[in-house]
Amino acid sequence: MTESKAMEVLHKALKQSSADQTEVVLMGEKTDLTRFAESTITQNISQEETTLVITAVNEQKVGIATTNDLSDDGIAEAVAKANQISKLQKPDARFQSFPDTTMAPKLDKTATVETNLNFTPNDMAGTVEAVVKMTKAKNLAASGAFRHDINTVAIANSLGVEQFGRNGKAELSLTIVGEGEQSGFGIAFSPDPASIDYKRAAEAAISKAEKNINPIVLPDGQYTVILEPAAVGQLLLFLSFLGFGGRTLAQQRSFLSNKTGEIITGENITISDEAENPIFGSLLFDYEGVSKKRIVPIQNGKAGEGAFDSYYAAMMGTAPTGHSVQPNNGFGPYPKNLVMQPGDKTFDEMIASTEKGVLISHFWYINYLNPMRTMITGTTFDGTFLIENGQIGPAIKNMRTNQSILEAFSNVEMMSKDRIVYPQYASLMYVPAMKINNFNLVQETKEEWEGSC
Amino acid sequence: MDIKSIAMDGLVAASAHKASYCDIRYEVIRDENLAYSDGEPEPIETSVSAGWAVRLLIDGAWGFASSDDPTLSIKALTDMAAAVAKASGKVMAERVKLTPAQIQVGEFISPYQTDPFTVPLEDKIAFLADLDAAMGAHEGINSRSCFASFRKYDKYFFSSEGSELHQILIQSGAGISMGKSVSRRERYERSYPKPAGQYELKGYELLKELDFKAQIPRLVEDIKQLETAIDCPAKTTTLVLDGNITSLVIHESVGHALELDRVFGMERNFSGMSFATPENLDSLQYGSDIVNFAVDATAKHALGSYGWDDEGVAAGCTLLIENGRLKNYLSSRELAGRVNRTSTANLRAEGWKNIPIIRMSNTLLQPGDKSFADLIGEVDDGIFMSGPTSWSIDDLRKNFQFGCEIGWEIKGGKIGSAIKNPTFSGCTTQFWNNCNAIGDASQFVIQGTPNCGKGQPGQNARTGEGASPTRFVDIQVGGQA
Repeated sequence: MTESKAMEVLHKALKQSSADQTEVVLMGEKTDLTRFAESTITQNISQEETTLVITAVNEQKVGIATTNDLSDDGIAEAVAKANQISKLQKPDARFQSFPDTTMAPKLDKTATVETNLNFTPNDMAGTVEAVVKMTKAKNLAASGAFRHDINTVAIANSLGVEQFGRNGKAELSLTIVGEGEQSGFGIAFSPDPASIDYKRAAEAAISKAEKNINPIVLPDGQYTVILEPAAVGQLLLFLSFLGFGGRTLAQQRSFLSNKTGEIITGENITISDEAENPIFGSLLFDYEGVSKKRIVPIQNGKAGEGAFDSYYAAMMGTAPTGHSVQPNNGFGPYPKNLVMQPGDKTFDEMIASTEKGVLISHFWYINYLNPMRTMITGTTFDGTFLIENGQIGPAIKNMRTNQSILEAFSNVEMMSKDRIVYPQYASLMYVPAMKINNFNLVQETKEEWEGSC
Repeated sequence: MDIKSIAMDGLVAASAHKASYCDIRYEVIRDENLAYSDGEPEPIETSVSAGWAVRLLIDGAWGFASSDDPTLSIKALTDMAAAVAKASGKVMAERVKLTPAQIQVGEFISPYQTDPFTVPLEDKIAFLADLDAAMGAHEGINSRSCFASFRKYDKYFFSSEGSELHQILIQSGAGISMGKSVSRRERYERSYPKPAGQYELKGYELLKELDFKAQIPRLVEDIKQLETAIDCPAKTTTLVLDGNITSLVIHESVGHALELDRVFGMERNFSGMSFATPENLDSLQYGSDIVNFAVDATAKHALGSYGWDDEGVAAGCTLLIENGRLKNYLSSRELAGRVNRTSTANLRAEGWKNIPIIRMSNTLLQPGDKSFADLIGEVDDGIFMSGPTSWSIDDLRKNFQFGCEIGWEIKGGKIGSAIKNPTFSGCTTQFWNNCNAIGDASQFVIQGTPNCGKGQPGQNARTGEGASPTRFVDIQVGGQA
């Protein structure tokens, strides 16, 4: 959808609303996705949807109506519905105002990277074909997904705010498998699908799968672990989910709540959110039209600031940071471009420095156990190896961790200087590898269960 | 809009591409969500979404395209799906073959008393405001929430084989939750019927049936007990699970484990695989001989019920595990033939936009013969747990760990002191083989799960899991949270 067409829809909706304040957001999503398993494409799709979200507020009573019917009748019906709801609803004393143009001036540049609109399903399949060829050459099989999203966002509100932007992102996730449980994981991200480094991801996954044979069993214990960037990204995602968002802070459910300035991790940990970093290719404004600001939830180990939209910022007596996510969601504002400051070591130096430890490529099915303690559980996955005398040794059977993320980030001995962008659940994490001491690992299948499961 | 005429145009376009099979779906989905948290109303949200999807097979390769763009003709959308299918053919080992299925023509309207979309919004707001006030009247509770959620599907399906189907499904959901933070790191929550509430294939009548107000004093009492409760001890013991957590164990360790796309590695990179590989069919002792599971998309008010799946196969009831032995999988027309079965009608899509994939409908653990008093009374030393809060299971659906809102000691056949942060872990087949008692039919509830995540792009399927409280021996508990 062009900017002029999008703005035409938004203006039409705004004009029809009689509410005290009205916000309209138009979201276009186009997704091409090629999934493959056993070196065969198993699902291949192209899908698109354009959704109009209208939020009407009358005397602090908030009504939201969403439609993908952009005809005149469809828009009119949605506007009327949002207005009707807002009149029936009870007042929400927490709502103050949508942002105005002082808070959200129109941006000249709305995305960091030009969007590739010309990458076809045939191009997608071509990339997968190249990965499969590399894999078959090693007598292994490839499973994974290559995904390309183009997102268009247009915003206007009755206080004069207007923004329009478009961005793209592509990710390739690979699991290379061989005999039995032999497997290796690789991942690549780029704002442009034509630039995705599929060779590097495939080489990493193939190399890991080749080594991941005849796994040994390690006893339960606390280990020095080296987490590859993907595993660090997964922990960071959960940490962010558990505490960086304005909703959790406003509800006093965050581990950051009332702790500003207190030490919560090691001093070598600094985590920021930086939409302006071109490595992400993100939009530069949020779903209220506010410019995304750099925030630092953890600065040298000290609790810092969270991510806010106008609603939760008002509740907390602060300013919005430009982290509103799609309207109509239950999570509240949230940082999606997380950056962890790197260390000064090469990955090889980290391995060489480790007398005995465990190399973890990736985790499977992380879920939280105790949010306030940042306690999560999950298993190691697609490549877990023993490190002995500074060298990567035999594969290890997957192990379960029950671990506080903040405690783990308090025990970081070193980090790599190289980082990757790890994409998961619509968030992007730019993360290094980490060497962590005293990391909890237990056997996934207990010895006494062997033979019966 | 003449939906059938447009669909027929699409089927003609697919034929021009020499598609050996094509199905076309048009769906309209309406949602309405209301909630209160901590005495304040959350924004009320309503939405409507409509669009078309074309799925076709060309030279044995799948193509799929979906769109809500009214300026895009069905022919253009079909052409797009054909282009995707031709791209799929670049990386293909074997041509897709569909098992035969009967041509279906008909209409299914789910059973309900009151269409929630006809109930005045004022009434829904008043219902939640009243519930919120009732929860807020209890001192010592410093967080509370309640919600109501309604969905209506209007679905059309047409296939190149001649099937023509129309379905209207009405689903309702609601739940309450109360909590208390006692320190920066400790917080206790209790919810009813479970943290995600309850969802059923019903109308507005569900909200009254759940009788929330009657549950509030019990939840408050549980939170009081949690304040002085001990942490869950780490030990191997007899474990009695409430139906609401048994249902989640079923969902994760039986339902997902028996999805045939996982079994054949098609979800290897994202949702994982399954230990229950085809050579185990008819031989694997999945559970003890009192354990019987069925997949049933015809259960009257269960959230995962429907008339036909999203490739036009009629809903049915199929035994998956009989007297503990593995008998079948959840399947589609593409994969059922690979295990010499017919489709169990489990190919489902979340809305018009998504491609259908193998999903649970309702996975039901057949009730046993024990009263709740017997389930507890026969245990000398054990733990009873309720209210699922956390779950994690490995990529083969084999090793798992679950957490609950609350547990209680069982001593000498009686419920004793409360236990906080209760967890248990196990291995799927060992766990179900250690099942030694199942509650009777009077305790059987089909829990609705509104957010079962699978697939890429992610799809949240709506499923049901039926269970009574269930007892297991020699289970590892505690020591994790």
